[in-house]
This record gives sequence, C-alpha cells and structure tokens, in this order.
Amino acid sequence: MFKDRVDILLAGLLLVCVAAGVALLIGGGSQASQLNPSLDKAIARDMTYQAKVSFLERLYAPVNELQQNGKYEAALLKLDELSRNYPNEAHGELLRGEILLRMQVIPQAVEHLAKAVRLSADYVDRQSPLSRRSLIDQLIANQLPKLKAKALAQENASLQKTLQNLYYLQGRLAGGCE
Amino acid sequence: MRDALRDPQTWLVMLAGTVLGICGVWLAVLGNPQNSGICVSCFLENSAGALGLHDNPRMQYLRPELIGFVLGSTLSAFSFKEFSSKGGSAPMQRLLSGIFLIVGCAVFIGCPIKLFLRLTAGDWTALPGLFGLVVGVWLGLKGLEVGVGLGAAKKQFGGSGYWTPLLFLLLLGFLLLRPGFILFSQRGSAAEAAPVLLSLGISLLIGFLAQRTRFCITGGLRDLLMIGLRAQLFWGLLLFVLLAFVGSLVSGNFTPGFYGQPGAHLDMVWSFLGMLLVGAISVLIGGCPFRQLIKAGEGDADAGLVVIGMLLGAGLVQSWQLAGTAAGVPLYGKVAVVAGLAFFILNLLLFRERDIA
Repeated sequence: MFKDRVDILLAGLLLVCVAAGVALLIGGGSQASQLNPSLDKAIARDMTYQAKVSFLERLYAPVNELQQNGKYEAALLKLDELSRNYPNEAHGELLRGEILLRMQVIPQAVEHLAKAVRLSADYVDRQSPLSRRSLIDQLIANQLPKLKAKALAQENASLQKTLQNLYYLQGRLAGGCE
Repeated sequence: MRDALRDPQTWLVMLAGTVLGICGVWLAVLGNPQNSGICVSCFLENSAGALGLHDNPRMQYLRPELIGFVLGSTLSAFSFKEFSSKGGSAPMQRLLSGIFLIVGCAVFIGCPIKLFLRLTAGDWTALPGLFGLVVGVWLGLKGLEVGVGLGAAKKQFGGSGYWTPLLFLLLLGFLLLRPGFILFSQRGSAAEAAPVLLSLGISLLIGFLAQRTRFCITGGLRDLLMIGLRAQLFWGLLLFVLLAFVGSLVSGNFTPGFYGQPGAHLDMVWSFLGMLLVGAISVLIGGCPFRQLIKAGEGDADAGLVVIGMLLGAGLVQSWQLAGTAAGVPLYGKVAVVAGLAFFILNLLLFRERDIA
C-alpha cells in the first residue's frame, strides 16, 4: 500500500486528521451541547411537549371543571365555543367523547374518541401524561361484546360504523409499530 | 427434498431460521413493539427518526438490531474470509429500489420478516400481504426469465464495501454514547425496546448466521417457486415460521382474528400491493430488506446503496406520511406504491437483454 513518498505523506496526513478529530471529540465533546444548545434536541422536544400539555390543560380547564361538577350539557357548549377557535383539535375531541360517554351516548362517544386517537396517539400511549388507555380499554371491554351481538342480530349502518371505530381503538391499544 | 436435507448447509439454514423465529418473538416479549420483535422497515423508520431524517416524535430510536445484523454479518464474513468489496451495478436503481422497498413495507406495516411474525401471531390482516409477496416474487422471477437483470457486482477498487459496516460502527457509537443530536422517543412505539445489549447480542448472532447461510425471506420463496422443496432457503423459512408460531403460542401472544391486531389495517388491496412491490423489487435486486443489510455487511456496496436508499425511504415515508396506520393507508401512500410499481415495470423495460429472451 505504501509504495512511495506520496503514499507515506498521505497516510501521515490521514493520521493527523484522525488524531485531530479524536482530540476534538475528547477535549470539547462535553462542552458541545453547552456551546450549541440547539444540538440537544431531546430537551427542546420535551419542552415543546410539556408546553403543549400545559396549554391543553389551561385551554380546557373550564370544560373539565363543568364535567367534574356533572354539568355535561354546559361542558359540551363550552367545547363548541372553544372548537370555533380550534376546529378538529384532538384534545377537544377526546373531552367530547369522554363527556358523551358519561352521558351514555355510546355511538357518538366512540366516534369522538376514535377521532381523537386518529389525530393524536398520545391518548393510547402508556407513557403520555394525556393517556386515556384505561378509559378506552374499559369502553372496549364493556361495549364490544354487546355491539358484536347486536350487529349479528340486525344490519345497521351506524352500528357497523361504531363497531369499526371500536375495532380501531382496540387495534391502537394492542400496540404495534406505527 | 432428501438431497437438500442431507446437505449440512440445509441444517445451517434451518438453524438460522430457528434462531430468527425464536428471537423474533422473544425480542417483542423483552420489550420491542408487539409483533415487531424484528422488523427491518420499522427499525429503519425508527433509526431515520433518531438521525433526524423525520420528525415523528413516536418513531425515533437507533435500533440496535439493525447495527447487530450488519456488524454480525461483517464479523462472519471476516472470520470465514468471505469479506469482499464489490459493487458497481446500477447504483441509482438500487438506491431508488431501497426507497420503494420501504414504501411497500410501510404501506403494509412491516417488512417480510414482520409479515410472518404478524401471521404467526394470528394477525389475519397480513394474509393479503403474504399473497402479495408471493405474487411479487413470482413477477420478479418472470422478469429474470425474460432477460431482466441489473448486472452482476464486480470487485471494487478502493474498498467501497467497507463504508456500510463503518457507517453502522458509527451508529453503534451514537447508540452507546447518545450525543444530543440523536433523538430517542420518550413515548410511542419507538419508546418500546428490548434491553440494548441483549438486542445487540441477539442481532449479532442472527447477522452472523444469516451471512453464513444467505438467509433471505424472498430468496426462500423464490427458490421454492424455482426448484421446489430442494430449496435450502425454503427450509430455513419454514423453520422460522414454525418457531415463530410456537413462540407466539408459548408467550401468549397468539390472538387470531382480523380485528384489534397491533400495527395492522384492513386495507387488504393495499397490503397486497405493498408486499407485491417488496417481493418484485427484492427479486430484482437479489434479496429482501434483511438480506440487503447482511450483504452490505459482507462488503457488497450495491447492497450498501440499497440500505442507504432504505434509510432515506424510511425518513420519507414518515415525513410525507405515506405509511399505513391502523386507520388505513393514506392517499399519498397509495400513490407511492403505484409509483413503485411503475418504477419496477420501467426497470423491467430498461434492463432487459432482449437477445436472451
């Protein structure tokens, strides 16, 4: 490989480059994120996510309060008002689904919960502070067997749609890579 | 069939299939996403996210399995003096093939290995994918029959075959040192992972065995269609499927049905077409996505370009939201599959040696 002076010169230069690179990494590696904080993308991402969660909590605080006091119709009206500014917002859809579920309006509740999960997978994540896994799990356990039996007994388009939405939620709860 | 079973190489292939089947299920038990103990395309999407090639915060993790497959193959190739720097055949087509391989996989939700892991866990929505893969391999074979070929790799001057293993060594460094610019999901499927060192160890073993045996999912199907039960790779594939099925039963992950399956959708036509694309392209470029990683590890720079294409494709399918989800296949995902099929047909036209036919 090293047949003449040019080869030796090039090999020497290569060694210098490699040594310089290693020296830079060892000497300045620990300071890299301090010198350029934008490189630490994980912190930026986590801060953005936490800000989103806080914003949603603040935005929907009146809805949550009305819901906790059992004023479901008023909570739905408040959601309508908020959705004029934020149409198709996932958390709004989720809260609407939750409220309708408490009101036992099952088909619409399932529709809104499925829409919320389609818009944001946070609601089926174990690790997310917004997670509603247990609520959705319970909904499936309670409603799926009943609706399946109903669907076998009668042909009904809206029943089929609710069933499809429940299957979708069941699939999302099952996990997988997406 | 008896001749094949008398050959020690067949038993080695069967060992590779057995290890892949057991580990494919075991890695999911250890923490990888459900039915995704091993999935080359999902892992590439995760790794592309970790490298900043897309911004889906749920799909960012430098999967150690991919690193293990490549470096295990390199170790094996060096150990048995089979490492050979070669390449130089149709580089752009191979790069684009890598992109379209991932498009097909992403629309189906999984590579050919995951297809079988899904099926053996009772996910019947993967059945159209299996039919699609077989038809795709058959179409690819028909292409070869009429004289289509991208050309053989030649020994390369300048050691181009070293670059893919070196790239994966760099990724190993990133995985272990975790510099700030590499992203790791805190939630979503990429946050589900088996322990790093265990994943690395298992995948190094799989990579090593796969290099020794030339294990390949589409290769197994191709050989079965060509020479029937004499095909050694088919026996490996069979053992892989059987052991994955037993593993699913034993681990309690066998839940048969069409509904409520993890990482699956009911767009059967697109599952079929997505895997058809993967099967057809795989035959044309000489191996499934997993095999491309193994070949890249043993110094094949052509396969290295496919791997780079797959990584690029993995970033694109997430950034452009082409991938299938439990809600179905998005419009642009369907368009991308059709574009991939057009790309395959165009290659049949352009790379056909008419004198042979």
